Amino acid sequence: MKSNVRPFLSLADAARLIGSRQLSPVELTRALLKRIETIDPKVNAFLLVTGQRAMAAARAAEKTLMASRATDHGSKLLGIPLAFKDIYETAGVRTTAHSRILIDNVPKRDAETVRRLREAGAVMLGKLATHEFAIGGPATDLPWPPARNPWDLRRFTGGSSSGSGAAVAAGLALGALGSDTGGSIRLPAAYCGIAGLKPTPGLVSRRGVIPLAPSLDTAGPMAWTAEDCAILMDVLAGHDPADPASVAVPPTEFARAIEPSLKGLRVGMLRRFYEEDVPASPATLKMMANAARVFKDLGCIVRDAVLPPVRDYNGVGRIIISAEAYAMHEATLKTRLSDYSRVFRIRVLAGALIRAADYIAAQRRRTDLIAATAEPFRKFDVLVCAPTADAAPLLSEQRPDEGFSRPFVTTVANVAAVPSLVVCGGFTDTGLPLGLEIMGPAWGDATVLRVGHHYEQATGTRDRRPQL
Amino acid sequence: MAGSSVPPVSLASPAEIQSLVTRAGLMLNPGQMADLVLAWRQVAALIAEMPRDRGFEDDMALAFRLPPPAPTPPPTLLPHGEATDNPAPPRKRAPPKTAAVRTAGTRTTPRS
Repeated sequence: MKSNVRPFLSLADAARLIGSRQLSPVELTRALLKRIETIDPKVNAFLLVTGQRAMAAARAAEKTLMASRATDHGSKLLGIPLAFKDIYETAGVRTTAHSRILIDNVPKRDAETVRRLREAGAVMLGKLATHEFAIGGPATDLPWPPARNPWDLRRFTGGSSSGSGAAVAAGLALGALGSDTGGSIRLPAAYCGIAGLKPTPGLVSRRGVIPLAPSLDTAGPMAWTAEDCAILMDVLAGHDPADPASVAVPPTEFARAIEPSLKGLRVGMLRRFYEEDVPASPATLKMMANAARVFKDLGCIVRDAVLPPVRDYNGVGRIIISAEAYAMHEATLKTRLSDYSRVFRIRVLAGALIRAADYIAAQRRRTDLIAATAEPFRKFDVLVCAPTADAAPLLSEQRPDEGFSRPFVTTVANVAAVPSLVVCGGFTDTGLPLGLEIMGPAWGDATVLRVGHHYEQATGTRDRRPQL
Repeated sequence: MAGSSVPPVSLASPAEIQSLVTRAGLMLNPGQMADLVLAWRQVAALIAEMPRDRGFEDDMALAFRLPPPAPTPPPTLLPHGEATDNPAPPRKRAPPKTAAVRTAGTRTTPRS
């Protein structure tokens, strides 16, 4: 077993090297723990590093690998070091949701997703920063600092899966788990220049993931490439009777499904989204124009597509999230209000004032938007847009009421209950990553991963890493 | 049709918001109250913009389906052909088909 670990590896590359006995899980884990020790004090991606557990899991993976036949160790995730947003329950390991409220919380069980990854032989490196309880923004009045963007440490990671985005981009973990209620996987994926999938609701179990707004919450993978996300989805996807929203759909081999070419695929460009609804910067508009050309060069049929205004989806999403998040936290807010961050209070307390009739009106309106979003998928296989108007803003520019004052394009997919992938679409002239969002019809998760994979291959965006 | 004439939520005054906060059982200091007023005005604007022109009959958002009942054992027949209420020995129940249960937010197929 060789021990020379390259400084940056994608999950897929590491899996291939481990599978061919060219990379030791123990040495890979040791190298990443060393890198975390060196780099993370600048990035603040980790709330907790579980080094001893990680080394024990890596040794167990290596033992399994050495005991198996040449290519038959059964799992592409064997010996792959991952980290989890700190809202995923981990047996015997503190799970805080980046909040004082849960600072002493040590779950007895793993979240179903964590259990699946462990069973597949993955190695947990630790728990990752988030916005408090997966809502809000970067807060400085919590026990841990907010994560910083590895491409420019003065900049915002996006959130709420902030540590997941930062850890993967900085090469501190080969993959991570995030959660997405209004864009919390895809915004950090965009700002940190990585791939992140918000799956179709019901495809990935949420049991053991601390809820924010159960109507809209989804759990999903974040990694350097779409292919990495597909490999993770091969393990994460599957019916879980303990999650009432989980659906027993026929299994998909995601990593295999991303391979076929895109020739003939129908791509709808949601031009109005990025030209009018959330006007994009010149750099983003240039990236979108280039993306359309790339898809044409890949053999796709590219046309403009139209969905209802972003603002319609955002209104519904914000009302549902505020009401449900307040309901989740009501008891604690009444007794420990000052233990929450100011940004959390701003985002959630307004939920106390939402009338039941308005909440139900939002749920009813959502069904209209689900139907309206399904309509264009009769003509298109995927819909493409810019998830953010520009590259990552400065941390100092973040307003605590950001979630209300600006519409998020990403919330469209949450309200519409469709899968959505963000990949790195390109870079600004100053070298900051720009995200590209690819939405599919419900259960079209493999298709959006396939489109993202071929886009990455065609554009070479995965060859550039942040300099830390 | 119903609901199209529902008046929008008003952008309440700080005093009105204080009253709602009290009713919700929250104790806020002046700074927290100021933050809430800021946030609530933005939420109230979103509520006011939301279309409400849906018909009474069009109310699928809150629909849910229970899993199908477990199979009922056939009645036991007495020797002379009469049925008895005494049940047969219990069978092992099939696992519940939770796939059929959907929360309001997870229906993904469009309605016609």
